[in-house]
Amino acid sequence: MKEFKYLKFLDVFRGLFQRFGIDYNTLRKILRIKLLIDSRRTSTVLTNQKKKDGKNNFIRSLGIFLLFGVFLSVFMFIRNNYLFSMSLIFSMFMFFIMTSLVSDFSTIILDLKDKEIILTKPVDSRTLNAAKVLHIFYYIFMITMALLGPAMLVSLKRYGYTFFFLFLLTAVLIDLLSIVFTSLLYLLVLRFFSGEKLKDIINYFQIVLTIAITLGYQLMSRIWTFIDFNKIELKLTWWKMFMPPLWFAAPFELFIKGNTDKNIVFLSLLALIVPIIAIIIYIKTSSVFESSLQKLRSSEGQTKSKNKFIILVSNIICKDKEEKAFYKFTTNMIKKERTFKLKVYPSLGFSIVFPLLMVIAQHFNDSLSRKSFFAIYFASFMVLDVVGYLSYSGNYKGAWIYETMPIRSRASIYKGSLKAVFINLFTPLFIFVSLVFLYIFKFGILLDLAVVYSNIFLLTIITHMIQKKDLPFSLAFETTEKKTGFWELIKVLITMGILAVLHSLSDKIRFGGLIYLALILLTIIILWNKTFKKAELEEG
Amino acid sequence: MNPVITIRNLSKSYGQKKVLNNIDLDIYKGEIIGYIGPNGAGKSTTVKIMLGLVGEYEGEVRIFGQNIKNGNIEYKKKIGYVPETADVYENLTAREYLTFIGELYGMDYDEANKKAEKLMDLFGIKEVYDARLSSYSKGMKQKALIISSLINDPDILFLDEPLSGIDANSVMVIKEVLAELARCGKTIFYSSHIMEVVEKLSHRIILINNGEIVADGNIEELKTKSMEGSLERIFNQLTGFNEHELIAKEIVATIRGGEPVEGI
Repeated sequence: MKEFKYLKFLDVFRGLFQRFGIDYNTLRKILRIKLLIDSRRTSTVLTNQKKKDGKNNFIRSLGIFLLFGVFLSVFMFIRNNYLFSMSLIFSMFMFFIMTSLVSDFSTIILDLKDKEIILTKPVDSRTLNAAKVLHIFYYIFMITMALLGPAMLVSLKRYGYTFFFLFLLTAVLIDLLSIVFTSLLYLLVLRFFSGEKLKDIINYFQIVLTIAITLGYQLMSRIWTFIDFNKIELKLTWWKMFMPPLWFAAPFELFIKGNTDKNIVFLSLLALIVPIIAIIIYIKTSSVFESSLQKLRSSEGQTKSKNKFIILVSNIICKDKEEKAFYKFTTNMIKKERTFKLKVYPSLGFSIVFPLLMVIAQHFNDSLSRKSFFAIYFASFMVLDVVGYLSYSGNYKGAWIYETMPIRSRASIYKGSLKAVFINLFTPLFIFVSLVFLYIFKFGILLDLAVVYSNIFLLTIITHMIQKKDLPFSLAFETTEKKTGFWELIKVLITMGILAVLHSLSDKIRFGGLIYLALILLTIIILWNKTFKKAELEEG
Repeated sequence: MNPVITIRNLSKSYGQKKVLNNIDLDIYKGEIIGYIGPNGAGKSTTVKIMLGLVGEYEGEVRIFGQNIKNGNIEYKKKIGYVPETADVYENLTAREYLTFIGELYGMDYDEANKKAEKLMDLFGIKEVYDARLSSYSKGMKQKALIISSLINDPDILFLDEPLSGIDANSVMVIKEVLAELARCGKTIFYSSHIMEVVEKLSHRIILINNGEIVADGNIEELKTKSMEGSLERIFNQLTGFNEHELIAKEIVATIRGGEPVEGI
């Protein structure tokens, strides 16, 4: 039987868990099973599909974090002002941790199966919740090591062991605080809403949380006043005391540099006390959490359907019956399937907040220029996530219909579903972002917006072409599953960059915008036909 | 004799909707209870409350004399459960899943493993003991679920549609096992929509409709009271349903794309 190193590591803290009233032996068993499940892939329902490679996608996606980690380690070379360097590192770190918690690990926090299987046995909800937190912690800790590992190595070399261990300890505290904090926020949402509404609220909450994290992160990097390069100062006003990265940076100032300023001592205390209090609250409320979770399963109430509108649109933009059917199917699934929404909606939050944040900040600084407009390309990040996750669903077992129904062409499945995400997710978001841009840049950018809109569609096709072709909603979500592999991600990002650069270059020629737009539309038509003609030919 | 389960004035609502309305029940050792009712009548909610999955109810539920609201979960050691949803961790093999469940009940790994393997053998699915549950047929998965509910030798069994997907021969075996378990003094709470099985198997039938108990007694009592010949008819009568022929005609007409039948 497979023994996980992580569990051996946790054994060290056995006594601590028991003090919190957690049944450690049971906790260990639950965790072992969870890790065992993660190490396997769910077999797909569609039997004639090729077997996927056994490599763990999660490990591969760590590569991207490692890349950022190397970048972060540069801050370790700033001397003398630990409060500055460490709070910068921690704010970026917390940003990554929180966002991956919200998008990738919400499914663990909000899992319903555990309740039915485990809580009907003599296991208390405290132990089950501790298992959930530690399950998430396992992955978060790996991300932590990828992000902070390089910086930790630098610190070990430059500042010695004390610094290194303090670094490790604060990182773990941040991880725990982030996980517990996110769970508590979910609990709050679960308490106040119920039924069908709750399922929607959770997704909006995810979007809002993603936006909040991004804003908080932006705020963090702006609290420093640069007098000159060597003199960086921080005036501690009351509201800055609410910035968690400062709490966790303070101990370095206190212990390494011996700065016993009362503000620093206070912040250091917060770094220790807040996570502990959060954990205690979480343990105390865990039974409430479990009973509130049940609400997600209740099915009372009906959602009003806008079916007529969906049918109307499908008749306009789809050609044949199958394509129309899959357009409608995908539209309904992306609007209603809980697990899919849990995974995808946070990235929609990004796509709204990034471009807006950039132009609004510049708008108020009066540093707005033609270049600022291209921030709108950050909105196209959503394409990557949404198209990447389109093959996944919590109801993946329903995919047997693809096999048993007399579907003439798989190409029309893809056509219908790609159109559906473009119309139902990308278009409303794009319109929203465009309206703000129109307000800021005035009507001169109408043509540019048309170009960006077309480019988003082009990217949708390209992302679809690059990634593995699995039928929509036919695969199971798994903890370690990442929709797009590292290289696919890089390819799409580069394409995105090229499209944006070409757009900015088109300014240089007369009627450049129009010519560019025409070229994109032409490319779309060619690629669209080529991809799906090819798919049809392969089917024979 | 003291009841193993006592339910007093149990009510539960989700928002405005009342799912259970003042349920009173006493259930004794060795009883097989057929717990029946239309979809959405409140059957699963009652069972989930007893298992501690649903909280925030009004009234009192005592199992083995203990009020389950007090937070003590020890009573679950002696309870087995086959959920209607048939949730399992499909990525695990039966060996891994069943020993895990056994260990959660507080058994030793070896004990659970031995018992599970033997039961798999007796249920005729030994050859898939080390195959993943995701590769199981519906009946095989259901058998594994039944084994998981029996592995701890429970005193109370909650079975929600336990026979679905299981072949006729195995159904006979399982029915006999349940009867034998009842003779050993186990209490079985059996929910199903298949009236013939409930009628034959149960010592006592409880019919719940709109969150209230509308009938409670053995099959003979129910038959004399309602003057109907079968449990199915009693069910129809008590839940106020008598137009099945008309609806069936309309359904067939709809399938064939014809005109609606007069009278609905």
